[in-house]
Amino acid sequence: MTRAERSLYIWLGVAAILIAFPILAPVLPLQPTIGMDIPNRFAGPSAANWLGNDEYGRDVLSRIIWGARASLAVAFGSAFCAAVIGTILGLLGGYFRGITEILAVRSTEIVICLPPLLLAMLVITILGAGVLTLTVALTILFVPNYTRVVYAATLQTGGLDFVKAQEAMGTHPLKILARTVLPNIVPPLLVQFSLTVASGILLESGLSFLGLGVVPPAPSWGLMIRAARAAMDQQPLLLLWPSLSLAGTVLLLNVICDRLQDVLSPKTAARGGAAWLRRQIKRTPDAPAPDVPLLKIENLSVGVDLDHASLGLTKEIAFEIKPGETMALVGESGSGKTLTGLAMTGLLPNALSVTGGHAWFRSSGGAVDLAHLTEDEFGPLRGNEISMVFQDAAAALNPVHRIGDQLCEIIQRHRPMPKAEAEAEVVELLRKVGIPDPERRIRAYPFELSGGQRQRAMIAMAVANAPKLLIADEPTTALDPTIQAQILRLPPPRRAGGRGRACGCIPRSASPAPR
Amino acid sequence: MLRYVALRVLIALVLVWLVSTLVFLVLHLVPGDPAELLLSAGNSAPDPVAVAELRAQMGLDRPVLAQYASYIADLTHLDFGVSLRDQNPIAPELALRLPRTLELILAAAVIACLIGVPLGTLAAMRDGGWSEKFVSLLASAALSTPVFVVGTTMILVFAQWLGWISAGGYVPLAEDPLRHLSLLAMPAATIALPLTAVMIRMTRASVLEVLEKDHVRTARAKGLARGPIIRRHVVRNALVPVITVLGLEMGTLIGGTVLVEYVFNWPGLSGYLVRAVEARDYPEVVGIVLVISFLFVLLNLLIDITYAVLDPRVKLAK
Repeated sequence: MTRAERSLYIWLGVAAILIAFPILAPVLPLQPTIGMDIPNRFAGPSAANWLGNDEYGRDVLSRIIWGARASLAVAFGSAFCAAVIGTILGLLGGYFRGITEILAVRSTEIVICLPPLLLAMLVITILGAGVLTLTVALTILFVPNYTRVVYAATLQTGGLDFVKAQEAMGTHPLKILARTVLPNIVPPLLVQFSLTVASGILLESGLSFLGLGVVPPAPSWGLMIRAARAAMDQQPLLLLWPSLSLAGTVLLLNVICDRLQDVLSPKTAARGGAAWLRRQIKRTPDAPAPDVPLLKIENLSVGVDLDHASLGLTKEIAFEIKPGETMALVGESGSGKTLTGLAMTGLLPNALSVTGGHAWFRSSGGAVDLAHLTEDEFGPLRGNEISMVFQDAAAALNPVHRIGDQLCEIIQRHRPMPKAEAEAEVVELLRKVGIPDPERRIRAYPFELSGGQRQRAMIAMAVANAPKLLIADEPTTALDPTIQAQILRLPPPRRAGGRGRACGCIPRSASPAPR
Repeated sequence: MLRYVALRVLIALVLVWLVSTLVFLVLHLVPGDPAELLLSAGNSAPDPVAVAELRAQMGLDRPVLAQYASYIADLTHLDFGVSLRDQNPIAPELALRLPRTLELILAAAVIACLIGVPLGTLAAMRDGGWSEKFVSLLASAALSTPVFVVGTTMILVFAQWLGWISAGGYVPLAEDPLRHLSLLAMPAATIALPLTAVMIRMTRASVLEVLEKDHVRTARAKGLARGPIIRRHVVRNALVPVITVLGLEMGTLIGGTVLVEYVFNWPGLSGYLVRAVEARDYPEVVGIVLVISFLFVLLNLLIDITYAVLDPRVKLAK
C-alpha cells in the first residue's frame, strides 16, 4: 500500500465513523429533536445537553446529528441519481456519437449556463420547498458534470484496441459499454462523486438557510444557522456548532477527493517545485582553479537524485575548448550530450544534479567552476558570456510574447539601453541570421513564424551579446547545413577588436558537424 | 481579433436564447399548473374561477407555442411582464438592482485575483515548504466554509463584538461614498473568500506546470533574475488557464451573491429573488433568473475576450 493509499483509507475511516452517527441516530440515546424546554432556552453546554439548548430549549446535539441526516440524504441522493443518469447519457453520447451525442451530451450542457443556485431556486418555485424538491433540483444540476466526465472518458476508452476487438467480434454495443468501458471510467466518476456530494451539502444548507430548503421543524444545519443568526448576540455558540459541522464535513469530503486524485493519478513530477527558486548555499570549489584557456571540463558526472541514493547518468566526461575553437560533441541519442550542455549552464532539470567533477570557465571576472555556481552567480554569465541554442525552438520561445520583445530582453538584461536602441539591434541580428523583413517580424509571435525562422530567432538570441562560449544543442534540427555554417561565422557585433568565439556544438547527426 | 470577438458575441447570443428557452421549458414541462399551485393555500382546493382568471392573466390558456413566441418577443425588448404580487412592471426593478449585484461580483472578483494570484504563485514557488502548506490549508478551509457561515460570523465579530462596521445595509454611492464602500467591504470579502481559494489552487497548479516548460529554461539561460522570470515568463503564461477557471467559477460566484445579499441585507437582484421565490411569484422569478443568467453569459464573454488578449494563439485557433 502506498503512502497516498494509506492516507486515503485513514480519511475514509474518519468519514465512516462520522457518518455512522446520523445513520444510527434512531437507535442512539439522543434527546428528541422537537422536545421544547422553554425555561432552558439558550442554556449553555451541560451534562444532559452536551452542546446546550437552542432558542426553543431543544437539545442542539441531537438536532445536529438528525440535521446531518437531511444534508446527507439530499447530497448523497442527488449525487447518486445524477451519477446514474449522467453516466448513462455520457456513455451513450460518447459511444454512439452523432445525433445521440447531441441529445445526450450537448443538451445537458445548457444547464451549465445557469448558475447552480438559480436553477435550484427555479425548481423550488415550481415544486415548493422540501427535501424531495431539493434532491430533484440538485440532481438536475449535477447531471451535466457526470455526463461531461463520462463522455470524455468514453471517447478515450472507446478508441482503445480492446474495445475495437470486442466490436470486431460482434459483441452487442450495450454489453461492450457495461463490460469494458464502464470499469475504465470508474476513477473519474469517484472523484466527481465526492465533489458533487460536497457541493450538494453546501447547496442544501444554503437553501435551507434562505428558508427555501428543509421545512421546519425538521432539523437541518442550514436552518439551525438561520435561527442562530437571529439570536447570535445572546448565544453565539448556537452559531458555532452547525457551522463547524457543516464546514468540517465539506472539508473532510474535499480532503478525501484530493487523496483520491493522488491515488488515481500519482504525480510523476518530483515534488518540491523548481529547485532554482529556492535559496542556494554558495559553495566554494573544493579544488583550486587550474589555468583554463576558455573551458575545461574535468570528470563531470550528472545523476538523478533518488530518495536515498543517486543514479549516475553520465560518467566523468572531460574535454577542453580554447578560444575561437569549435568542438562537436557526438554520440548516440541518450548518451548525455544535452545533459552535459545543461550541466555547464546550471540548467539541469529538477531532480538531476552534478554529482562530481568540474567545469572550469574563464569568465571576465576570473576562472569559475560552472558545475558549482548558484543561480544568482550564473545571472551575469548566462546569455552574456555563455549562451545556449536549444533543441526545440518552438517550446523554448515563450508563446505569449513577441519575438522582438524576447530578444530585447536579453540585450537589455546585460547591456542596459533604451528600448528603441535594443530594437534596432534586434532587427540587425534577425537580418544577419537570415530572417526576411525583420522590421515586421519583431512584432510576430513565435507561433506566427515557421519552424526554421523560430530556430534562427533562437540563434539570434544566443549570439545577441556575442558570448565567449556558444553551446548549440542540435541547432540544425530545422536548418540546412549551409545556413548553419553561415550563422557560426557571424562576427561578434560588439566589443572592438573582435574576440574569438568558441562553440560547443551538439550536432543532430555526425555528418553536418561544423569544422 | 474583430472576427474572434464577433464570433464570441454570436455564441453568447445563442446561449442567451438557449437559456431563455430552458427556463420556459422548466416552467411548462414540470407537472402542476402554476396558477393552481399559486392559489392553493394549505390543503384546500383552489377556486376554479380564480384559477381560470389567473391562467388568462398569465396567458397560460393559450397554446404553448403561442406562449413561447410572445415570451421570446417580450424578451427581445426586455419586457419581463408584471409582478403577480403588486402588478408592478418587473423590468424597472431589475434595472435598479442589477448594478448593485454587479458591483458585488466585480469587487469580489478583483479581491480574489489580487489575493489569489500572488498567494498561488508563492505556494507554487515554495512547493512542499511550510508557506505552501499554510497557504494550501487556508485555501481548503476557505473552500469548505459556506459563504453564509462566513458572512454571519463576520457580522458577529466585526459588527456585534468589535463594532467596526454596521451589520449590513446599503447606501447609494452618490449619497455617501465612504459609507457605501464600508458597507460593500464585508459582503464583497465574503463572496471573494471561496473564489480566492479557487484562484490560489488554480494559480498554484498552473504556475507549477509553467515552471516545467522549456521557455522558462530559456528565460534562465538569458541570465534574467528570478523576479522578471516569474513575472514575465511564468505568471503571465500561467494566467491563461486561471482566467478560464474564473469564468467557470462565475456560476458559483453568482450563487454566492444570493446568500450573501440575504445575509448582509444588500438590496441587489438576489435578495429580490429570494423574496420572489418565497412568494412563488413566477414572472418575477423568471425575470430575475433570466437577467442573472444573461449576466453570467456576458461575464463569460468578457472572460473569453480577456483570454484572447492574454494568449495570442487563441484568436487564430477558433
